Amino acid sequence: MNGKSMHWVNRLAALGLVVGLVAGLAAVGSAQSVGGQAYSTYVNTPLGSSAQSPLAVLPAVSGTDGAEADAEGSALNVAGALSSDFLNSITSGEIGAAEAGAQSTASAASVNILNGLITADEVVANVMSSAGQTGAFSNADGSTLTNLTVAGQSLSGDQPVAPNTNVSLPGVGYVVLNEQIPSGDGVSSSGLTVNMIHVYLQNLVGGILNPLTGQIIGGTLQTTGEIIVGSATSSVAS
Amino acid sequence: MMREHRSLIVWPSLIAAGLLAASCTDQPKVSMAPNRPNFWLTPPPAVCTGGKWTGGGRIDPAYPDPTAGSNYDGADEDLAHEEEYFAYKLPNMTGKVTFGFNIFLAVNSETPSRCYVQKGEIEVNHHPAKTSWHVSIHDGTDAQGNTVYASVFADASGRGYCLVVGIPDNYMWARVNGNKGYELTQFEVCDNDRGQPQNSRHDAMRWRAAGDVSHDPGDTHLIYLTGGNIVEHGS
Repeated sequence: MNGKSMHWVNRLAALGLVVGLVAGLAAVGSAQSVGGQAYSTYVNTPLGSSAQSPLAVLPAVSGTDGAEADAEGSALNVAGALSSDFLNSITSGEIGAAEAGAQSTASAASVNILNGLITADEVVANVMSSAGQTGAFSNADGSTLTNLTVAGQSLSGDQPVAPNTNVSLPGVGYVVLNEQIPSGDGVSSSGLTVNMIHVYLQNLVGGILNPLTGQIIGGTLQTTGEIIVGSATSSVAS
Repeated sequence: MMREHRSLIVWPSLIAAGLLAASCTDQPKVSMAPNRPNFWLTPPPAVCTGGKWTGGGRIDPAYPDPTAGSNYDGADEDLAHEEEYFAYKLPNMTGKVTFGFNIFLAVNSETPSRCYVQKGEIEVNHHPAKTSWHVSIHDGTDAQGNTVYASVFADASGRGYCLVVGIPDNYMWARVNGNKGYELTQFEVCDNDRGQPQNSRHDAMRWRAAGDVSHDPGDTHLIYLTGGNIVEHGS
């Protein structure tokens, strides 16, 4: 082998080394951060308030570590607004060489909102986010409502509900069932928040009373409070 | 000459008698089959290489028999791929179960073939009975001060690996419904979609609880996740 061919062999070897290192680093460094939180109930109304409870927040995860956090509560009662029991929140996340992600679950049982306007035997919010060589994505598989009743309309059994189902609550406001709030670009990052029951309380502000019909003309609806049951969030980003 | 002739008759007779006696004794049969590795019929000896496992989500074991449900994972365990064992005779545990966990494995210096849990948290909620269990493991021991052993094995389906936490003899102690007391439990998960899209629903989970304190004894059997994820993410 002469000196010239040795030169090419060395170049090829160096190129192979660089390509290998880059590929290896890309695979290992696929995700840099994961996040998650979950809570069963949140009440902020003129009738009363209660902070996000029980709240589980994923601790910081680095390297190839993982973490888990959970919280539980036996019962919650905000008079006239919300009562429920068997409250559980769990979140976990991990960063690995091949994939990284987070998953969160929140649940509440015997749910009674606004003196029976909305009831459910059980609410489960379940989300996961994952990032790997095939991209980043999130889903809410496993999120269901059990024997739900909204303003007299029932949904029997343990069922998923179409994302962002909006139901009007005349004189009260509206409720969004399976409210989904996505984030990320779906390539290097992804996140999802699911609020299984999100009640928006509204009041009409302004407007003029028509003395002939008794109806109010004009005015604007203003949100005066909210109630959330079953909230779970997960996210992953590189 | 006569003496030599006698010995020629006596020795073959003795050998024949010995062979006859040997053939009549109850000795183990000798296989004439070709030699095969020891793990041909039994799983290879467990070797702990450490590892970190994290995940969570939900399973829905079918009523009344989880093994008859369409979400039953009957592919990952067989006689050669089932490391776990629970001494208690348990009824089926059915209905909604949510969970989350984080487990760090380490090698036991006294018995290198066995993994133990260096640190970990496991939360499991059985919704129909409103039972919650929590396992905390710090510095290699659970809340009762016992070492928690674990096992990792390649599953029978060939899709990935399973982890069993709380293998005999110690199992592991779980706190029941806040502070109602402790009972023996066992936890199993399978990561079957590493490096692949995570919505394949091939990951699975199994929970077993003795029920002494919770009065909710049961075995969910190995069930595919309805939602969530199981990830083995490092060593």
